[in-house]
Amino acid sequence: MDAIASPSVPDVKGASGAGVRIRVRGLAKRYGALEVFRSIDLDVGDCEILSIVGPSGCGKTTLLRCIDGLIPVDEGEIWVNGTRVTQPIAGMAMVFQHFGLFPWKTVYGNVAYGLKMAGASKAEIAERVPHFIAMVGLKGFENAYPYQISGGMQQRCGLARALAVEPSVLLMDEPFAAVDAQTREILQFELLRIWEQRPTTMLFVTHSIEEAVLMGDRVIVLKGRPSSIAETIVVDLPRPRTRETLREPRFAALREHVWSTLLSEARRAEFEVGGGL
Amino acid sequence: MASLDASLAKPIAKEAPRRRALGVSGVFLPRLLAGLAIVLVWEASVRAFLPAYVAKPSTVLLAIPKTVVDAAFLAATADTLGAVAQGLGIAVVIGTLVGLVIGRSPTADRMLRHYVNGFYAVPMIVILPLLSLWFGYTSATRLATIVYAAIFSIVVNVSDGARAVPREYMEVARSFRAQRLRGLFEIVLPAATPYFLAGIRLAAGRALIGAVVAEFFTAIGGLGYFILFMSRTFRHDEAFVGVALLAAFGVGVDVFVAWCTRRFLPWYRRDERSA
Ligand SMILES: Nc1ncnc2c1ncn2[C@@H]1O[C@H](COP(=O)(O)OP(=O)(O)O)[C@@H](O)[C@H]1O
Ligand SMILES: [Mg+2]
Repeated sequence: MDAIASPSVPDVKGASGAGVRIRVRGLAKRYGALEVFRSIDLDVGDCEILSIVGPSGCGKTTLLRCIDGLIPVDEGEIWVNGTRVTQPIAGMAMVFQHFGLFPWKTVYGNVAYGLKMAGASKAEIAERVPHFIAMVGLKGFENAYPYQISGGMQQRCGLARALAVEPSVLLMDEPFAAVDAQTREILQFELLRIWEQRPTTMLFVTHSIEEAVLMGDRVIVLKGRPSSIAETIVVDLPRPRTRETLREPRFAALREHVWSTLLSEARRAEFEVGGGL
Repeated sequence: MASLDASLAKPIAKEAPRRRALGVSGVFLPRLLAGLAIVLVWEASVRAFLPAYVAKPSTVLLAIPKTVVDAAFLAATADTLGAVAQGLGIAVVIGTLVGLVIGRSPTADRMLRHYVNGFYAVPMIVILPLLSLWFGYTSATRLATIVYAAIFSIVVNVSDGARAVPREYMEVARSFRAQRLRGLFEIVLPAATPYFLAGIRLAAGRALIGAVVAEFFTAIGGLGYFILFMSRTFRHDEAFVGVALLAAFGVGVDVFVAWCTRRFLPWYRRDERSA
């Protein structure tokens, strides 16, 4: 894999000196005549959480699919861990908006899937799967099929499946958009707790402003047609972030800031205000 | 930790037994009554209008004990069902592979679709003379007829199922770097299993018809030939025991497939399970 990447590896040590895990330059994507986004530049540092917020249909999922190597890009380049991404690479895992669980596999089977594809041995799978099932709070549900558990639990399973391959980069596509508000809140704080235990670089896509601010070290706002990055907001809230964070004046100020950036185009109906929290 | 949304988990088996018990008693009685009615009308009309050698339920029933121990009948049954099982096996393996390829490869689909649909529509009875020319009046002709009769319903169903696999599943597989072939057998195949089982159900019926038709035409023995021979020698009761066995086989396949669905596909159609 290194041999493929070596000819023109970009400077993986960013200006800040921190390792850059994800580097995106001049990215553009079209579906036929529809230009989804253009000139996207991103640098995501080691163990940084970058939130991406934008209205429905602005191309958030498309961007993640490009970065995961699932679909080709029309312009620009993507580098993850120093490797030029043209197809899915090891060390990166995605959590899907609609969970993407296989209905014919149990929770155990679904969590084991990524490991199996990565060629892990039986012993390795037997050791790691229960660990990650416990980490996301699904102990006791190993043998349940997806239809037997709630949406929140299904996404816990999707999260465990991604975590189980121990990726250095996690791509989260509106992971909590399909669960009810209460469960969503629980899952947000659990994800933060898991991240504290085992920090990874994370691209966290959401259309909830509050969620973007709560999770991210930075928030980028996508807007326009075709969309591009309208603004990058640094979230200088301390970690670990907890329920207390939500009550801090600084949190409210940042939320308002992101809100006004998004609102400068009159599309207020497309955003949730406090829906997620 | 998970307690809050654990409580949202759907009850897994609580209401199932009650619903099934209701289903069995609710279906069983009408089923029995319908059967009795058919038998009575049959018995009465034969007694009233037809000669004594014409089969009627009472005499068929009496013929069962001596027919089922008849060595010729047993050999014929084993012969036919063995051929059906063998032919179905061949049809399932080849049909599934071809169906998967057609369902997942637009090129293969464009190349083969019309041929498959064309052959599917051609009645096996018009293919039989050709097959008997190629294979002679042997059991190979019967086997070929069975495979021909069965394979296209498998191909058509499996390819429909393979086409209908949600794109998201394929994307998850790709994201976790599954090789293409593993995706085909570990994602497409299980996702298409319900279609596959529907195909087997159709194929089993058609395979049986294929076997019997081949035996009628080529006189190579077997259950179909047994029935034909008994009819021609005016032993209609014995013939009907054979017919009843064929019918039982049809029902048996249905029950077996339904059982397989419950046993191996608990995730499939969990709301509409009834025998
Ligand atoms: N496979 C596709 N083919 C054509 N258009 C697509 C495809 N996927 C998404 N789109 C379109 O691209 C735009 C961005 O979609 P998406 O990335 O899903 O947005 P978001 O995730 O932000 O809601 C939408 O207008 C959508 O209709
Ligand atoms: Mg989306």
